[in-house]
Amino acid sequence: MKESADRVARFVDELLRGRRPHRFEATQEEAEAMQAAASLSAGRVGADVPDNAALERIHQRIAEALDESSVVDRRFSRRAWLRTAGAAAAAVVVGVGLDEVIRSRQESGGSGNTATLLPDNGSWRPVAAVTQIPAGHAMPVSTATLDAVIINDGGTFTAVSGVCTHLGCKLQPDDANRKLDCPCHQTAFSWSGKVLYYRLQAAPANLPRIPSRVNNGQVELYIV
Amino acid sequence: MAVTELRVLGDPDPEPSGEPKLANYPDWESVYQDNVVGIYQLVFRRVGNAADAEDLAEEVLMQTLKTLRLPAPVPTVRAYLVKTARTVMADHWRRHYAARDAANELEQLPIEIIANPDAVDRAQRLLGLLPDHFRNILELRFLRGYSVREAANELGVTESNARVLQFRALRKAAELEREVLR
Repeated sequence: MKESADRVARFVDELLRGRRPHRFEATQEEAEAMQAAASLSAGRVGADVPDNAALERIHQRIAEALDESSVVDRRFSRRAWLRTAGAAAAAVVVGVGLDEVIRSRQESGGSGNTATLLPDNGSWRPVAAVTQIPAGHAMPVSTATLDAVIINDGGTFTAVSGVCTHLGCKLQPDDANRKLDCPCHQTAFSWSGKVLYYRLQAAPANLPRIPSRVNNGQVELYIV
Repeated sequence: MAVTELRVLGDPDPEPSGEPKLANYPDWESVYQDNVVGIYQLVFRRVGNAADAEDLAEEVLMQTLKTLRLPAPVPTVRAYLVKTARTVMADHWRRHYAARDAANELEQLPIEIIANPDAVDRAQRLLGLLPDHFRNILELRFLRGYSVREAANELGVTESNARVLQFRALRKAAELEREVLR
């Protein structure tokens, strides 16, 4: 009993420390206890949510194995079209009051489409000082007409919508993992606005981009 | 293949969405995008750690994508994914822990049980069914993250006794999971 208890305790320690457990020849009783431990480990809130890096590794290895990624990336599928249409719907969610959503384009290296919001009657408006957003950080900003997130990726500033394209929840930056999290349904977007993962029946649309530039030490967005 | 309409790989209680549901998966990318998180979570529930869950989720997706011809109906692909996951997880327990009986039992489970995604709810129900002394040690370890030493101090027992108590509690949990929750 003591030996089994010690072996299973080590297995539990490894699960709780987030390590891959060591392998060994388990008795039937030990295996049952270990399976129950795995079930309880998964029952910790948030424990079974994969991180972005893991999903990217899986995607990369499957793409390499199937050797189709380049074909898929070039394809403008019906699904990609639906995502773009979803981005148009997102414009309504953010309350921008856009007259039109134009210019949808392929993102290099991705399979989805990202729309860029270009309002009629828009103008460049400063929303933050460059010094407020260090490299490697994302900062939410709000104006009278929209919520956005400004990203400083190694000195290059970009901006995307700051609300989830599913139900409009405000996104929260996760700088360490270079993503934007939706707190409502475990959905996350990359800094470029691409959906990384989601817990919904259908994939939400990618985040629309918002035209941005740096001018006189200010980050400016092209908005109404 | 008997196809069951499985909701397990998406939101268990989905909100209305403006995007129409897919009837068919046109390509491997759409299968991946729609199912990778669900498969990862399904596998995580049986292995309890991220490293193994990543490897096994990849194996499940890879085997499925190499076998199925696309385009294919969404329910067909999802049912195939869950069946493949069941086999892959059973092989994992056989290969790494020589757990032949436990693996065989896992392989016999209906796919509706395998596919149940709500690990948090299941763990809470399982803990609620346990006698107090077993529930206490497992709550300290799994929910509060106590080490064996800290749990032993909290419960007023030796570390060795805490490990034995944990082992007995896990065996009881396994028994209850088999009899009540499956």
